[in-house]
Amino acid sequence: MLLQIIVNGILKGGLYALMAIGMALIWGVMDIINIAHGSFIMLGAFTTYWCFSLLGIDPFLSLIASMLVLFLLGYLVQKYLINFVIRASAFITLILAFGIEIFINNLALVAWTADVRKVKVSYGAANFSFGSYLTIPTVRLLAFLLVIIISIVLFVILNRTNLGRSIRATSQDLEAARLVGVDVARTYAVTFGIGVAAAGAAGTLWSILFPISPMMGGILTLKSFVVVIIGGLGSMMGPLIGGLTLGVTEALGTNWFGSTYENLISFTILVLVLIIRPRGILGGTD
Amino acid sequence: MRNHLLRNYLLCGVALLALTLVPLFCNNFIIRFATDILMFAIMASAWNLIGGYTGYASFGNVVFFGIGAYVTAVLMEKAGLNFFIAFLSAGMGAALFAILIGLPVLRLRGHYFAIATLGVAEAMKALVQNLEITEGNSGIYLPMMDLAVRKQYYFFFYMMLGTLVLTLIVTYILLNAKLGYSLIAIREDEDAANSVGINTTYAKTMAFALSGLFTGFCGSIYAYQQAFIKPGPAFTVHTTVKMIVMAVFGGMGKLFGPLLGAFSIEIISEFLSNYFLLAHTLFFGVVVILAIVFTPKGIIDMIIQKRFGLAYFLENIREHRV
Repeated sequence: MLLQIIVNGILKGGLYALMAIGMALIWGVMDIINIAHGSFIMLGAFTTYWCFSLLGIDPFLSLIASMLVLFLLGYLVQKYLINFVIRASAFITLILAFGIEIFINNLALVAWTADVRKVKVSYGAANFSFGSYLTIPTVRLLAFLLVIIISIVLFVILNRTNLGRSIRATSQDLEAARLVGVDVARTYAVTFGIGVAAAGAAGTLWSILFPISPMMGGILTLKSFVVVIIGGLGSMMGPLIGGLTLGVTEALGTNWFGSTYENLISFTILVLVLIIRPRGILGGTD
Repeated sequence: MRNHLLRNYLLCGVALLALTLVPLFCNNFIIRFATDILMFAIMASAWNLIGGYTGYASFGNVVFFGIGAYVTAVLMEKAGLNFFIAFLSAGMGAALFAILIGLPVLRLRGHYFAIATLGVAEAMKALVQNLEITEGNSGIYLPMMDLAVRKQYYFFFYMMLGTLVLTLIVTYILLNAKLGYSLIAIREDEDAANSVGINTTYAKTMAFALSGLFTGFCGSIYAYQQAFIKPGPAFTVHTTVKMIVMAVFGGMGKLFGPLLGAFSIEIISEFLSNYFLLAHTLFFGVVVILAIVFTPKGIIDMIIQKRFGLAYFLENIREHRV
């Protein structure tokens, strides 16, 4: 029983980690808290839903489509909107992201109504079971594996490619990066695009596992925050550790206190971690 | 300089007198609308104390609003107390909460403070949803007011107006006192402020508490006006967003900035909801985006500099683009 709860927590935690990777990347490189992150996750989920119900594309395959669409969207948003105010106080970009969130959510609401939808795949009920101890739904396991693969790909991009080098250089020192010939505006746009594409991937996986609706983004943004804060900024391991911690804690907490306490548990953890270790569990002190 | 000051006082007096007369010449709908504007003007001004002057971007100010509303509801409904006692307790309760939560949270800086306050507000909402005394998600009905409808409209309008005037006067006095200078010093460079002997903890906590006090008053009046409150609407993050957007749109760190922001944003969104019934929130998003891109310093900066037009907008963009 306990084992099952922890495994469920880990599987959901993987998804939380993927949500947070995009947010942590954007935050770390550009000092933007992307309040619209959850809205991008929602768009990824709906891309998958429409690919599935209109074109009959398997949701796991539409992962590529939703990542591409959201990369492009993120690239354009950064290039033609956020880059205009990026050197104002961080606070200004925060509110700009809020405006983008309001816009996207309400556009989705007008386009698709507030109905809750579900991607129903034929293999949705398949699972592995280990006697009576443990049952793992196949889709959850697949989703978890994809989270790991996407994280590794992102890690390789950031650490082993020229693009990654420009991204890291820009995040460390904007002026110096510009001096050595990095196109800062483009790097920012690509970084935002990658972060949003990761959100899109998370949305796709979310739509396979849970019901979706245009207003689902708000709470997901907040949970991504919680994960980034728990894991701390500055390393690729952070979101993974933060996501798994949140997933398992939530699973245990809702088991002990009831599901109405899920959000109370997440946000109490958030505030406590911030107060006790403001740089996250992995991060050093100031 | 003296003349200048005198002229400003005179202008304020005339504006206040005009506002006082609004209910006498308007129908109920407009009084109600004006009451809403005043409510947001108070909350944006209260946010300005901590966000605009002190530089601590609180993303959880709605928590004070919710606490004010719930203290009022519980005291009036469960304890049978009079509204004015509940009103004062609501403000005090919110201020006390601001001090308790402020002591640890105000040690955080920048984004971390913003997120922590957001977390506090969300945690509080989740707590109220689960508590017995707040009746969880089903909400609390408040006692109805024993007055003619028209008189009720008057009552709430003047309560809000009075609270707004109080907020602005306290802010004005504070700005010209030592505390005000401390706050601005903290905003400009907190470490430097600390090193010259300013008690930054005291100043920050004071600003946060006052911000909580006025927002709590607002929540109290709102709860009595609605006669029914629920955790969802009382603690919604959208109220926080509105306060911030109004303060920024009008002009952060200026006494009348948030007031101006509240007036314009409320009128714009009312106008939009008249013309675009379904999609007005969508257009509201566009307004926020455009306002932030073109006038990040707020419209009060335009008015002070007497510069309206494309050149001003482009200059702002040139200053902040990469």
